[in-house]
Amino acid sequence: MAAQIIAVIIFVLMFLLIVTERIPRHFVTLGCGLLMLIVVFGICMRSSDAVWETLNIRTFVDPDFWVLINGEESSSGINWATIIFIFGMMVMVEGMAKAGFFRWLCLCIAKAVKYKVTSIFLTFMIMSFILAMFIDSITVILFLAAVTVELSQLLKFSPVPMIIAEIFCANLGGSATMCGDPPNIIIGTSLHYSFGQFVTNTGLIAVISMVFVILYFYLVFRKHLKSDLKGEKIKYPEPKEAITSKRYFISSCIIFGIAVILLITHAQTGLTVATIGIFIAVITLLSMPRHAIELLKKVDYETLIFFIGLFIVVGGLEQTGILELIAGFIATICGDKVIIMIAIVLWISAIASAFVDNIPFAATMIPVIKTLSATMGVDLSILAWTLAVGTDIGGSATPIGASANVVGISAAAKSGHLIGWGRYCKYAAPATVIVIGISMAIIYVRYF
Amino acid sequence: MDKQIIISISREYGSGGHAIAEMLSKRFGIPLYDSNLLEIIATEKNVDKDSLKAYDEVPRVRLFSRRVKGQTNSLEENVANLQFDFLKKKAAAGESFVVVGRCSESVLKDYSCMVSIFVLGNKEAKIKRIMGLYNLSEDDALDKIERENFRRKMYHNYYCKGKWGDSRNYDLSINDSILGLDKTADIIEEYVRKRIELMA
Repeated sequence: MAAQIIAVIIFVLMFLLIVTERIPRHFVTLGCGLLMLIVVFGICMRSSDAVWETLNIRTFVDPDFWVLINGEESSSGINWATIIFIFGMMVMVEGMAKAGFFRWLCLCIAKAVKYKVTSIFLTFMIMSFILAMFIDSITVILFLAAVTVELSQLLKFSPVPMIIAEIFCANLGGSATMCGDPPNIIIGTSLHYSFGQFVTNTGLIAVISMVFVILYFYLVFRKHLKSDLKGEKIKYPEPKEAITSKRYFISSCIIFGIAVILLITHAQTGLTVATIGIFIAVITLLSMPRHAIELLKKVDYETLIFFIGLFIVVGGLEQTGILELIAGFIATICGDKVIIMIAIVLWISAIASAFVDNIPFAATMIPVIKTLSATMGVDLSILAWTLAVGTDIGGSATPIGASANVVGISAAAKSGHLIGWGRYCKYAAPATVIVIGISMAIIYVRYF
Repeated sequence: MDKQIIISISREYGSGGHAIAEMLSKRFGIPLYDSNLLEIIATEKNVDKDSLKAYDEVPRVRLFSRRVKGQTNSLEENVANLQFDFLKKKAAAGESFVVVGRCSESVLKDYSCMVSIFVLGNKEAKIKRIMGLYNLSEDDALDKIERENFRRKMYHNYYCKGKWGDSRNYDLSINDSILGLDKTADIIEEYVRKRIELMA
């Protein structure tokens, strides 16, 4: 009992400290993780097994961690597969950014649509969706918003509608694949779902929703998609000028292609995401030997540490049985009505993710849905897709719901265009409700 | 002016620090940057100045903002950063100016040509000044002073290591209620001229 109470206190403390931002979030999760190991596992439970199980070090010597031969990868405690995969993708994305890939792509598309504001708006939304399927949405928005601001200054239109729409589409695109958004990576690696399974389930939901999202944003923003140019002659930026090195550009495009192919085929090849992450990082570094150290320095280690601490804290809740209690509570509310359970998981995930970081939320909910599935006899995959969609899409509703939102709003503010809570939520919150509603309808029609 | 000089005036609300900054700007013949800074930025960026001014020297609301990779959705912080960047750009370009508030004593601390002043005042004098300026009762004036000073303190202390009003953070802290605005400005002017003489 004491272990459970302390575990909950540490978890709540971690959440509060993350929200208040008084201490960097990686220190918060790591500190709370250490507290969990020492106080809960060490002092209260006196269980060295719980410590080792949560640290999950032995997973590295398990052949299934690298290539699925005998069965399934280990999934309890620190999810090292997620951490290694994210590390690999970070290295690849840094390499692509260094080569000028993202800016080149944005400028190419703007040029292809002849710099027409409405066309840029529509194509950038689609590009944001597609890129975010494979690359983290922070990077997608970082570059897309920068080019949007640049084009808005050139063509004299407000970048705000475009940036809000791009943010939303990046979050939606992230929900479509296993590697698009961190909650999906954690769900995929913890519950052993493949890239293909994500695409055919959350991907389908995302693509159908995207059609409505494009229509919605076009209707609400169409009056703002006008250029104030009055016949001035403009010197448009040349896409090829964005490329810093042709060699690096070609190699980064090839590596990106390899990463996509490896991810799509990983269920067939048996390669785990950890192996794919390591492989992508190594070939990126080998292709840019002179910049290898620079690329490694640019990796966001704080986020990786944040993940390690987070997994330990969630492991503490799991080991002490707290998450089983939460699952039992949800099961009691729902009775035997699975449809209500799905609605609860979807809407609670969406609402929670709109206000708190969706990564700790998803990590906490995974053991909960596992227990729900086991005790209620519900297909775990349905709960997994529901959780993924809820956490990924819910984050779009408010300025603080997802990292891409913060980065996009910051890029707009640097150009003097302020997007406050009211302005952002006025457009993004209804879009979130629409997509969650569509998702719920698809889940009900398809799985029940 | 031959030599670059930057005069940073921080002030308690109601002390008259802004009026002293205006006097110094005229006496040295250099521009004054206060809330007009956002008007300049708005013109440069072709945006509405009032939308920026709503967040001028306003402390960040932690609960409604998040930070990701050094970026934030906090409009207060983004507007503050626009002003800090503007001041740094002007200072780097070798320009001389007087700047009121905006954490300038910390933002421009690397410039040896920067003279930082904190202007404070007696409670009674500040109340009297605010009552006259805004036609308020004594109680309302005191409320306003306390509220504004709290806001300035929160704003300053969020961005700067040194505490707002702590004399150790400024070259000179001066109570202008004793000598009045003109004579206080005389003393600060004399101090700044001595500093200019000392500059290599």
